[in-house]
Amino acid sequence: MKNKMELKFAATLENESLARSSVSIFIAPLNPTLEEIGEIKTIVSEAVSNAIIHGYNFDDEKYVTLKCELNGNLLSIVVIDYGKGIKDVEEAKTPHYSTRPDLERAGMGMTIMETLSDYFEVVSVYGMGSKIIIKKELQHVDSYEGETI
Amino acid sequence: MENKIRISPFEDGLLIKFSGDLDSSKTLLYRNRIQKEMIKSAPRFLLFDLKDCSFIDSAGIGLILGRFNEIEKVNGACGFLNLSSYARKIIKISGLLSIMKEYQSLGSFKKEMGVIL
Ligand SMILES: Nc1ncnc2c1ncn2[C@@H]1O[C@H](COP(=O)(O)OP(=O)(O)OP(=O)(O)O)[C@@H](O)[C@H]1O
Ligand SMILES: [Mg+2]
Repeated sequence: MKNKMELKFAATLENESLARSSVSIFIAPLNPTLEEIGEIKTIVSEAVSNAIIHGYNFDDEKYVTLKCELNGNLLSIVVIDYGKGIKDVEEAKTPHYSTRPDLERAGMGMTIMETLSDYFEVVSVYGMGSKIIIKKELQHVDSYEGETI
Repeated sequence: MENKIRISPFEDGLLIKFSGDLDSSKTLLYRNRIQKEMIKSAPRFLLFDLKDCSFIDSAGIGLILGRFNEIEKVNGACGFLNLSSYARKIIKISGLLSIMKEYQSLGSFKKEMGVIL
């Protein structure tokens, strides 16, 4: 199975569910388990909510880009914002580290994404924006793949 | 499924049931709802039921952790009901399962907390 998609949407929290539903529909042909779908939706939401809350500080005039690619059973997810950027990526990845405790953020988004994915990379330039790259192998591959005419 | 919160009081606590998606677009609203109830009934126990919760991420973790911190101040305790293997995984990664336990039922939670009269 090979496929690609790209989605661009306004930086508002209402679009979080749009983003994660799109990805779950995108991977549906692979017959993922409920657990896999849940994990992928959580990964997408973490990356997208970070872009909206921290990258753009809720400015809904700005856009978040979500790209997905399927290569066999390997799913790649890229989430991009051209917002604030991250000064110290290693610090940002530290469990419980959050710059918005006022919003009752637990500082666990990065940790959750990293734990749930097989590959996790944060590329960020302070003042320019951030790009989150995630790869996750899906276990449940359609066994009849390749027999299509 | 509709995104909803339902809060029902029991003896010394509140049973808090989330339905649908528990994400950033809901958590601040839910925090206000729970805090309002907490002011009203001053509970020592919170039990979070995730049976109909189809989605959770760090926003939900922050909401639950925030209430845990408030309950800790009154020497109370919090627990979980009906975790799917997916929800359990997210909650475990976030460290919440080391401070809050999972229970089989409201009855077993009450029993362990000694709130049954
Ligand atoms: N896209 C981004 N742009 C700018 N800063 C970011 C971005 N993503 C993360 N950060 C910074 O990294 C910190 C940690 O991110 P993480 O997702 O782990 O926690 P959080 O979003 O603060 O809380 P939680 O995800 O638990 O609700 C954030 O508080 C923020 O300062
Ligand atoms: Mg986050």
